Amino acid sequence: MKIALNSIMVDDQGKALAFYTNMLGFVKQHDIPVGEYRWITVVSPEAPDGAALSLEPNANPAGKTFQEALFAQGIPATAFEVADVDAEHRRLKAKGVVFTRDPVQAGPAKIAVFADTCGNLIQIYQPPR
Amino acid sequence: MVPAGQNAARMLGHTAIGASFARLCRARERLRDPGGRLPLHAIAREAELSTGELIRRFAALFGDTPHQYRLRERLDRAKDLLARSELAVTDVCMEVGFSSVGSFSAWFARRAGEPPSAYRRRVRPKAALPASSPESPQAGCLGLLEGALAHRDAGAISEKH
Repeated sequence: MKIALNSIMVDDQGKALAFYTNMLGFVKQHDIPVGEYRWITVVSPEAPDGAALSLEPNANPAGKTFQEALFAQGIPATAFEVADVDAEHRRLKAKGVVFTRDPVQAGPAKIAVFADTCGNLIQIYQPPR
Repeated sequence: MVPAGQNAARMLGHTAIGASFARLCRARERLRDPGGRLPLHAIAREAELSTGELIRRFAALFGDTPHQYRLRERLDRAKDLLARSELAVTDVCMEVGFSSVGSFSAWFARRAGEPPSAYRRRVRPKAALPASSPESPQAGCLGLLEGALAHRDAGAISEKH
């Protein structure tokens, strides 16, 4: 057993694919039509054989309610590791990404939080060197 | 009890978004009203923003303008009612804020790719499936993986994972 796949709910799969590739820099792995939706996964170019992230439609009302409540409470839906939080913050801000939390030291790690424009807050963290 | 959005705004504190975060979340709630009758300037006033500022900040945070968000919510609501309720198309039309069935049908067909009645005929049998089925209009939460694996190109997924 291994952790090779995680998922995040998004309000629009096309918009999400654009944000996660064009803005964040992830790479599309799969994009397969399934019923009313698409099975979409992206991977990091820094770890193409690492865990994939599935961009799931938030079509189920229960999921949508949960997602919106997390967002309104300022709680990130997931977190991505970065080598340099300050550099990522500058890079993403320059692209127009909205940060709800600028880089801040949190114990031994440094973190920041931004909106993915698909209904989620995403935390980036820089592990201690 | 302090509303969750206000707690979040307090935690977000000094950041540029902090001051308006809770108000933008509240604006999103107001826009979700499927009737869509509350004018945008009223929502902007409630958010203590000009209409232009609300549109700009809302789009940066949520990826859609308030107008786009409202239309998507209405479409999602209409689809859900057509798939799962017993309401007639005329009632669905009223429920999502249209007063004319003709303009509702044309709008729905433009955005969904088929008229409301055709959508209902096609999706209704799938709506009876459990949400865990990849064919369900409420699918999600990895339920789609099953459908992807059944796809003829899914060999790559099986090999990889």
